[in-house]
Amino acid sequence: MSALPRLSTIFLAAITTLVAVLLYSPLFVPIVSSFFTISHGSVDWSSPTLSTYVALAENHDMLVALRTTLIVGVCTVILSVVSGTLLALYYHGRRSGRSLLQFIIFLPFLMPPIISGLALLIFFREIGLERSLLTVVIGHTVFVLAIVYRTVLMRLQSMSRTLVEASYDLGATGWQTFWRIILPNLSSAMVGGAILAFALSFDETMITILVTGTQSTLPVRLWAMMRLGFSPDINALVALILMFTVLLCVLAARFLIPRQVATERT
Amino acid sequence: MSEAGSTLPAEKRLSLLVTVLAFALPVVFVLVPLAIFLGYSFFSVDQGTIVYGFSLGNYVRFFTDPVFLPVFWNTIVLCVSVAIVCILLAYPAAYFLTTLKGRWRYALLMLLLVPLLMSYVIKIYAIRSILGLNGFLNKALVALGILQEPSTLFVFNMNAILLTLTLLLIPFAILPIFLSLERIPQVLLRASDDLGASGLQTFLRITLPLSLPGVASAASFVFVLAIGDFLTPQMVGGISGFTFGRILYSQFGTAYNWPFGAALSVALAVVVIAAILIGERFGRNPGTSA
Repeated sequence: MSALPRLSTIFLAAITTLVAVLLYSPLFVPIVSSFFTISHGSVDWSSPTLSTYVALAENHDMLVALRTTLIVGVCTVILSVVSGTLLALYYHGRRSGRSLLQFIIFLPFLMPPIISGLALLIFFREIGLERSLLTVVIGHTVFVLAIVYRTVLMRLQSMSRTLVEASYDLGATGWQTFWRIILPNLSSAMVGGAILAFALSFDETMITILVTGTQSTLPVRLWAMMRLGFSPDINALVALILMFTVLLCVLAARFLIPRQVATERT
Repeated sequence: MSEAGSTLPAEKRLSLLVTVLAFALPVVFVLVPLAIFLGYSFFSVDQGTIVYGFSLGNYVRFFTDPVFLPVFWNTIVLCVSVAIVCILLAYPAAYFLTTLKGRWRYALLMLLLVPLLMSYVIKIYAIRSILGLNGFLNKALVALGILQEPSTLFVFNMNAILLTLTLLLIPFAILPIFLSLERIPQVLLRASDDLGASGLQTFLRITLPLSLPGVASAASFVFVLAIGDFLTPQMVGGISGFTFGRILYSQFGTAYNWPFGAALSVALAVVVIAAILIGERFGRNPGTSA
């Protein structure tokens, strides 16, 4: 595609720039306002300040919500990685019933979160489980399970069969083969899946709104505040979260993209 | 891996446990809730309490009441529009990416995907402030002389939902289109060039047809995400921007009619599943299994 005429290259570059501007403008607003004051649509560039970050450190409610989000995220990661890996190990190499159960695992991820959330809400009510952080963790785990399952399954499928066979030939038991051969080979996929699961859990809003009790996670807290408008320290929080998630994403990419592919592409 | 070498009783017990878990987890936490939810759609409500008896009343009401079908239809049209606008913007951008070399290509792709990581709620809020009466958009349009004075055209109506959803969902259109464009073998393009085709002819007869599966996947992704979203229409839709998701949600809040809400969810699920199946059907590259 190197023989592209100059005019069409300019056109394509212009559209790409427009898309980038459209995508970044909603990020730009809170980040700029975390350092500058914005009033009536114009930025006061003259006086940069860190006061929003100081205010954030004193916003007790927000910090509690942040802590709740982290607790939910960590629990979700543990539950989804353990069960997602077990499911992947179980269904790998098994044909009977796999496609149906795989479909069921993927349903909460494919369905609109409002449907998954409402179904869980009614389910919890029917079995008499009080809405709490436990129900939030269950909801998040069900939601992200498909991602972890798929990540681990794909790694399993790309793993050479001869490794496992060699292990058995050398007299290792199933247990030893699992701990010494299979698990080490899966570890980077599990870490990558865990990071994705955490990122999804961290920003999950709709299911959480429906199944949470009195404690709210950060997105739910922000959602509730949005009607009234945000205080400036929220912008500081948002800027910090963005930096943190970009970091997480870079990490996830490192674990998930196999090295030979990375070099092949350049 | 459990079939071979499991001679110890502890291992046998473990593999039995794994088998039970493998079936129980998806069934108990996904299938059962969805089945109960489906069941609810056949119940009814009398004086604020749920009557647990079979009735098709909710579905009859959905199809006969003059309120619900038009909103349902308008929401589908809205989300199809979102998908179209997203693709019109994403296709040239994805195409531009594939013209770049090596490291630049992936760096720019990452750059266009990073906004997905930003908190969804915050993005909606930021977009609302951009679209609002005192927002950047109105400022820019007035400064450019396109508008005489700031307009309320862009916030708290259907336009606002369309614009906001488009901004939020463009990355989901870029990725599948980029992947399908990237998969086109360079030899085909060179052959076309050698045979004397112009750049436009090569694009229209080779690149475009071969990238259509990516476009279909992109359309399906964006549509499904748009129609399932409740947060955006609730926040930027105002009173006139009433979407199906909002009506559905209100059945569990102010209207307090869970069975009817469940029936509306079934209607939504049917549309979503149809969109996913269409995306699957046309999103697969002919000749490749992946």
